[in-house]
Amino acid sequence: MTAIILQVVIGGLLMGLIYALVAAGLSLIFGLMDIVNFAHGELMMLAMFAAFVLWQYAGLDPLMMLPVVALLLFGLGVLIYRGLIARALSVSFNRGMVQIFVTFGLAIFIRGAAQFVFGGEFKSINTGWLAGRTAQIGGVYLPLPQVAASLVCLVAFAGLLAISRTEFGRALEATREDRDAVALIGIDRDRIFALGWGLGAATVGVAGVMLAGFYYVAPNVGANFALIAYVTVALGGFGSLLGALVAGVLIGEVEAVTAALLEPSLKQVSVFGIYMVVLMFRPRGLFGKL
Amino acid sequence: MKRFGISLFAMAAALAAGAPAQAADEVVIGAVYPLTGNGAAVGLDAKAVLEVGQDLLNNAHDPIPMLMGKGGGLAHLGGAKIRIVFADSQNDPQKARAEAERLITQEHAVAIIGSYTSATAATISQVTERYEVPYMSADNSSPSLNQRGLKWFFRTSPHDEMFTAAMFQFFKDIGAKTGHPVKSVALFYEDSIFGSDSSGAQRKLAGTSGINVAADIKYRASSPSLSAEAQRLKAADADVIMPSSYTSDAILILRAMNEIGYKPKAIMAQAAGFQEQGFLTGAGPLAEGTMSRSSFALDAARTRPAIPAVNAIYKAKNGKDLNDNTSREITALMVLADAIDRAGSAKPDDIRKALIATDVPGSQTIMPWAGVKFDETGQNTKGTPVIQQVTNGTYHTVWPFDLAVQETVWGVK
Repeated sequence: MTAIILQVVIGGLLMGLIYALVAAGLSLIFGLMDIVNFAHGELMMLAMFAAFVLWQYAGLDPLMMLPVVALLLFGLGVLIYRGLIARALSVSFNRGMVQIFVTFGLAIFIRGAAQFVFGGEFKSINTGWLAGRTAQIGGVYLPLPQVAASLVCLVAFAGLLAISRTEFGRALEATREDRDAVALIGIDRDRIFALGWGLGAATVGVAGVMLAGFYYVAPNVGANFALIAYVTVALGGFGSLLGALVAGVLIGEVEAVTAALLEPSLKQVSVFGIYMVVLMFRPRGLFGKL
Repeated sequence: MKRFGISLFAMAAALAAGAPAQAADEVVIGAVYPLTGNGAAVGLDAKAVLEVGQDLLNNAHDPIPMLMGKGGGLAHLGGAKIRIVFADSQNDPQKARAEAERLITQEHAVAIIGSYTSATAATISQVTERYEVPYMSADNSSPSLNQRGLKWFFRTSPHDEMFTAAMFQFFKDIGAKTGHPVKSVALFYEDSIFGSDSSGAQRKLAGTSGINVAADIKYRASSPSLSAEAQRLKAADADVIMPSSYTSDAILILRAMNEIGYKPKAIMAQAAGFQEQGFLTGAGPLAEGTMSRSSFALDAARTRPAIPAVNAIYKAKNGKDLNDNTSREITALMVLADAIDRAGSAKPDDIRKALIATDVPGSQTIMPWAGVKFDETGQNTKGTPVIQQVTNGTYHTVWPFDLAVQETVWGVK
């Protein structure tokens, strides 16, 4: 009995840490410049396809491609900011709507393009150092690809926290506080925003690569995770990294416990139920400062 | 002189049906399929296979050992040719309705064939009922379609309740054969209409077969994780897990069960995602031993000698093997053409009477079915499905035992 309970709790934790990492990039971008990136799930999907292509054609293990894909996604994030977001920010009329539609349109474009290039078939990375391996400790099973993903997730969070302590991190924080004032003290706001987008995309890229090690890869895979990511960010508090971590794990556990004790089809009902309760008492989210 | 007589007859028939006169040397059949939009891949395959069927019916070729496999047109209509006019439903029930109407009134189709999705079949068959021309449902699987009291609806394909009945018949047969009967099943189904209809039929049949439903798990389709669901399946440890899932969930649940060290004794899937290539590659070795129902068996050439010939012609045209859908589509066309031929008339009422009298043995088709014989609702009662099992990465037919190409790997003890 304890083994079953432990198994459910660990399953929730392993998935929750992935949710947290997916949400971290979203939270970062939102906290920095008040933009909800609706293409966040699609960036993750692109990272998964990048991992798949590198695995298929270069035979690289998912763990080895982590830095490569993270760099690719960083570049893509900067590109998206420079090419689209910066322009959307500069409109003077109905800026909020333009910002929503620019990332929303980008999401649909990326998904359609992926369908065109890779086809609609489901793909999987079937070999690798950890693929399909499971460790067993006292009747509890630990799927190694997911354990690795969780560890990478914790390292990534530590990295993000470390970055927030650096000069760049303080510039990020300052830009978030008052985007107009920072220009006066010589911080290039545009550059900070671009780097923020790069960092956010790289984070979800790391999540995508780790996920590709035990998940299927398909053009619509991002959508399944994006919704959870939005709730995670809102639950944890916009712009709060710690909030994303705690909320991600909380959502993973709520899902696991609901599926184990109640109806599995009610998973999302529980998640959104808890979100609404939190919203009633703490509208800014668990760790929100804004 | 004979031709002339038939012409006169056909003219009279056409006038009686309120349609303009037709040349007797051509019989028009309308085909409604999604040729653009989200069902286009399936619809374009349907068009290709129906064109293959049209060529086989009309042209001279080496005889193929199946119904209407001789070629050279409709013998009882003086060698009249079949002409199929295609219309695009865009997978939209309202467009399907309008196109069916156009085919009947403008193109003078004497029968309609279609249509992939059950939602479009529902509207097309309303139009055909109103204009009193037969609708031949080739590949729609919703059980309710033939339950609406329609006079002009005919379906060669089995529907989802028949598929489920076949699974339970298989359980009985394999239990008798191996001495290890199925005592419990775990139902595992997604939360849309497909999952709830499929599991409903399974629940009912488990009850009447005296099989215990050890777990009844409705899950949310396309969930990011199915590990807690896998945990519940493991805790129930039923003899057979019966999933009704699309591809992504099919891959995930097999992986999730493996991750918690659970190897199910047997899996019997309601096709869908489990019959997709993406599942077989995605689940890889985990898919080995998985069973699924199917209405077609490409490997049944021993008992259905027409399969290699028809498959070769289709493959040359479309670059693919016949599958569950295309096999049913060409079979429906052949059954319809045979009825028109036996009617010796292109008058819809005569075609309907001939369809009702249809009794074709399975060996005269490319399908593994017992045959084609319609009941009073227009449903083919002899469309018996097969059970297939994955070995070495592909599905092989294991039941009915006389069609099996290999022994069932049966994990129930």
